[in-house]
Amino acid sequence: MAILPKAIPVRKTWDTAIIVLLVVVILLASLTNELFFTALNFSYIFSNTSEIMIIGAAMLFLISLGEIDLSVASILALSSSMLGWSYVRGAPIWLAILICLVVGTLCGFINGFLVTKLGLGSLAVTIGTLALYRGVANGILNENTVNEFPEFWTSFGFDTFGTTFMPKTLPMIIIFLIFFGFLLHRTPFGRRTLAIGQSPEAAKFAGINIVRHKMIVFTFTGFMSGVAGMVYTFRFSTAQADNGVGLELLVISAILLGGVSIFGGIGTIWGVVAGVLLAGTVESWLTLEEITAQWRTIFTGILLLISVAGPVLVNKNKQRRERKALKS
Amino acid sequence: MNLLNKLKLSSREASLGIILLISIGVTGLINPRFLTGDGTRDLLTSTSVVALLAIGITPVVVMRHIDLSIASTVGLTAWLIADMCAKNPDFTWVQCFVVGPIIGTLVGVVNGVLVAWLRLPALVVTLGTLYIVRGLAYVISNSVDYNAQEMPPSLIEGLGQKVYFGLLPFTFLLVIISMIVIAYFMKYAKSGRDAYAIGSNPPAADLVGLKVTSRTFLAFVFSGAMAGLAGVFYLMRFAQVDSTAFYGQELAVVAACVIGGVSIFGGTGTVVGAVIGALLVQTIQGGLAALGVDAFWKSAINGLLLIIAIYADRVLAVRNEKQLLRQRIKERI
Repeated sequence: MAILPKAIPVRKTWDTAIIVLLVVVILLASLTNELFFTALNFSYIFSNTSEIMIIGAAMLFLISLGEIDLSVASILALSSSMLGWSYVRGAPIWLAILICLVVGTLCGFINGFLVTKLGLGSLAVTIGTLALYRGVANGILNENTVNEFPEFWTSFGFDTFGTTFMPKTLPMIIIFLIFFGFLLHRTPFGRRTLAIGQSPEAAKFAGINIVRHKMIVFTFTGFMSGVAGMVYTFRFSTAQADNGVGLELLVISAILLGGVSIFGGIGTIWGVVAGVLLAGTVESWLTLEEITAQWRTIFTGILLLISVAGPVLVNKNKQRRERKALKS
Repeated sequence: MNLLNKLKLSSREASLGIILLISIGVTGLINPRFLTGDGTRDLLTSTSVVALLAIGITPVVVMRHIDLSIASTVGLTAWLIADMCAKNPDFTWVQCFVVGPIIGTLVGVVNGVLVAWLRLPALVVTLGTLYIVRGLAYVISNSVDYNAQEMPPSLIEGLGQKVYFGLLPFTFLLVIISMIVIAYFMKYAKSGRDAYAIGSNPPAADLVGLKVTSRTFLAFVFSGAMAGLAGVFYLMRFAQVDSTAFYGQELAVVAACVIGGVSIFGGTGTVVGAVIGALLVQTIQGGLAALGVDAFWKSAINGLLLIIAIYADRVLAVRNEKQLLRQRIKERI
């Protein structure tokens, strides 16, 4: 009990700090580069972060549970490959999309099964399924790429509404974010998620069905990765086996940047949205300043380190001050 | 009780060894070339980088941490050494073997400070350094590649292609030597035993007064240094390098460890197991290739192997636990 009142305010300030930082970065970028604050650039930021945002909304639940899924990018690739594979074989596009989503959900279900029913560690298992799903995608498509899709759908993935800042995928993403935000912060399901993450033991004794709960979360993380696979396929108009390599690390770093605790039990949808947008904004700014992709890799790493070290150090400092206050 | 535990550990490696022999045998039946000196040499050469890295991260994993930055360190080290040799044509293999581990150690120190002293989760920290180190390789290399002409002949043609008895490559000899040294160290030295204690129960290890911080720090430094050495091995094997060298291979190393019985939950596993795990993965790959399985399925098979290994590990652990419990109940009665 003693830990709770201490930990939560710090986390809240971290969330706010990231949102403030996001605003500051946007301001600075707009002042230094006139290309930044344009509808076109914002549409790029939104569409470049779309898969990360889609997967991140679900991964927020997994990490809050104290679990992790490293296979999301491979699920994205497998469902994207299945979309292309079935479309090329003559399936109507709606069926191909359905297959894509079902494959994603199934992959998530398998992860959940391995972790909960067989009791294996999610970190190790999803490293395994990371290789497995990507490998199946490789086996199915070999080196082929599918890039003939109906124009309606590629336009859905790539275009904006007129010349506004809104990519056509944005309304869908916002609906997902509202749904998952509501689920986490306003429903018993969300409370249970955070409770399990805080203390699995206590949650178990409080009568929460942990196995079923984790199963559901793993499954919908798979589903969302499938959705991301669909968006990715239409955005680049390609289905191939190496779609989204390494995306899992970007998703995780953006989520952690948003103040979600890697140990579980703490996380907000605002933090995730701000974290993803911050990473995307900085990326866009660096690109406009013609800083090469190589430096951006380093930057992602530093951002990740800051995001994990920041809250811990803030917490430590606060505890030290409290101890001092107690002494005097 | 102690004896039983010891037997359990060795039986784990023995059963892995048997599985390895069976898969070598089966592969040999399908493709007789696999059993010749050439085949063995190929197997050992292609395993040595991953095996060396697996030895390097075993202490880290035993302590319930993980080091994902190793593959990036291999890439950076390999490129820097190639660059150094290209600019100093009179350098020989000696400089390479000195500089490699030094570069790796630097990365290890950064990881160690962040994980051991600041107590940050190793998964996230090493994920961060994975990016940073790879990014450094990109930036420093500036898209310059090197190949065999720019490297010291004593490293590439000399040591890199040196084979003992027609089947044991020099690199794998070094793997075996370091395996024996580290295995001995982890089994009998105080700090080696501490690693198992820390991994089995970190808070308890702290309470009984083990130097958790400095041991954890040293484990990461060691892992970094071995990754640096693996960078030299990489050059010796491939004789060419660009900034994307060994990209994404960290998971293959983790897989080798887990398959070799080094539990990701800490507290169990040996370097011998890790090396056997690395060999096993490579052998099965070779066997499937001999069977005519498409190379495209390679990663899928790796993943499947890893999941099976984790499951087997879990089943064994549960059985072990039950046995110990039964024993204790008996003792009570």
